[in-house]
Amino acid sequence: MKQIVVHQEKCTACRECELACSFSHEGTFLPALSRIRVADFYEEQFYQPMVCVHCADAPCAAVCPTVAIQRQLDGQVKVIDERCIGCKMCLLACPFGVMGFSPERGVAQNCDLCDGTPQCVQFCTTGALEYADVVAVEALAKQKAAAALGLPRA
Amino acid sequence: MRTRYVLIGNSAASLAAVDGIRKRDKDGEITIINREEGAAYSRVALPYYVAGEMTLNDLLIRQKPDYARAGVNLVEKENVIAVDAAGKRVELESGRRIEFDKLLIATGSETIIPSIQGLDQVPHHYLWTLDDAIRMKQAAEKARTAVVIGGGFIGMLVAEALRKLKIKLTIVEMAPILLPQLLDEGAGQLFLQAVRDEGVTVKTGALVSALARQNGGVQVTLSNGETFAVDMVAVATGVRPHVRCVHGSGLTVNKGVVVNEYLATTHADIYAAGDVAEAKDFLSDDRSIYAIWPTAIDQGRVAGANMAGAKQVYPGSLGMNVVELFNVTLAQLGRFREGPGDDVKMLSRGEDGFYRKVVLDKDGTMVGAVYVGDENGVAEMGVIHSAIKRRERWSGFQGGRPPKFTYASVMYRVPRY
Repeated sequence: MKQIVVHQEKCTACRECELACSFSHEGTFLPALSRIRVADFYEEQFYQPMVCVHCADAPCAAVCPTVAIQRQLDGQVKVIDERCIGCKMCLLACPFGVMGFSPERGVAQNCDLCDGTPQCVQFCTTGALEYADVVAVEALAKQKAAAALGLPRA
Repeated sequence: MRTRYVLIGNSAASLAAVDGIRKRDKDGEITIINREEGAAYSRVALPYYVAGEMTLNDLLIRQKPDYARAGVNLVEKENVIAVDAAGKRVELESGRRIEFDKLLIATGSETIIPSIQGLDQVPHHYLWTLDDAIRMKQAAEKARTAVVIGGGFIGMLVAEALRKLKIKLTIVEMAPILLPQLLDEGAGQLFLQAVRDEGVTVKTGALVSALARQNGGVQVTLSNGETFAVDMVAVATGVRPHVRCVHGSGLTVNKGVVVNEYLATTHADIYAAGDVAEAKDFLSDDRSIYAIWPTAIDQGRVAGANMAGAKQVYPGSLGMNVVELFNVTLAQLGRFREGPGDDVKMLSRGEDGFYRKVVLDKDGTMVGAVYVGDENGVAEMGVIHSAIKRRERWSGFQGGRPPKFTYASVMYRVPRY
């Protein structure tokens, strides 16, 4: 499936992604409402954008007591607002801390991939975020790792 | 020959077990025996129905056609009265007998009826089943005042639902704080104040000693002699494993049905999962029962897989809970009250209404946490939850220079604003 792929080494923690996400979903520039968050280690100059990875065996969906989190045909793990009672068990279950909550709507919220044009990716100026097929990205990463070890290309 | 799977119970554990079985066995015959009527509903959502925020239809987590699609035969309104382990069959109240190759006991919990003088003489309500919820909602629509007996998890959810209906509340709790299963002293005091600030009367360290009919309402007498009158009585003094059907089966039962690391009972073809199962604890060498939805799901999946021939080891139950009550979000993980030899990291001490505590064992491994605050902090608890499950040390959260960044430290540093 296509999802948001993070190239950590390119991230500068400019937080444009947080603003773009907040604005496109909530109509306001409020990082607290963003579904993507950048972890920052300023002293070490290490920045890591964190966003829902639509886990294969999603703990948020497994734990949801109202079946409000459902995998879509495109692979996306989606919160069905009408079914969500706002119990927050999914926030407690998400190991990445990327399930969020909308106090305004009273429901859980995660990355919804903006219907195929993720705004965080659009506004990422350094190329740290990419909207790509994860299988292809994984294959590329493995090739790079193999090359680094001096192994021949498969 | 097709394997005959019989599952007693139609909630979280049983439904997860169906998934576990079907991943490995597409053809087996699955029968679910439900003591209630209809497709599965979400027990967790019942208070939202009482509060008028959900309809009966919203409560359903399965529709009838879902059972057919999964190849499940649903037997409704039938109580299992006996499990014949040696003969490998169960006996229903109607006299019907169902044979099994593999059996899952997932009967859940039942409400504890407290011994209060006059309780059986006055109308009163529990909140455990769908029928309970329907009756409670009907009573709540007519009530202006209510007493909630028990300030635990269910009691507080009932209180929150009744508050949303503008009912004036008195909560009576035996412990010195509300939600003693979820909060430590510090968090409890903070929450108690938040509830009182909402205009709710809370009697802690108190017991209801008697109830009596009075002018169309109910007179409540506390153990200290104090009396007051209410329109409605809600009782939430806890639940216990629903083990009645296994009596006489020869299976080992302690508080719940005792299961091994594969979630099998003392009979190799009989498994138990969910509230009724007394299974391995994640943090100790004991067995435990948490009676929570996530544990039922975890155990149901493992039990289902093993019934279908897998050899999955259950990693152990870890207590976890989160709830928003009276505009405060509360969450708890594992051993949140420190024991002897444990260390404590106080991340917030209640200033600005936030209380964040992490408990470490003597080796510095994270074993529990408690949180009081707003919605946003729960995501941090999620990260701590996964760290506890991976038995990470607190020092892992402190990070270090690359390449020493750990999974935990990175996630932990995400700003929560």
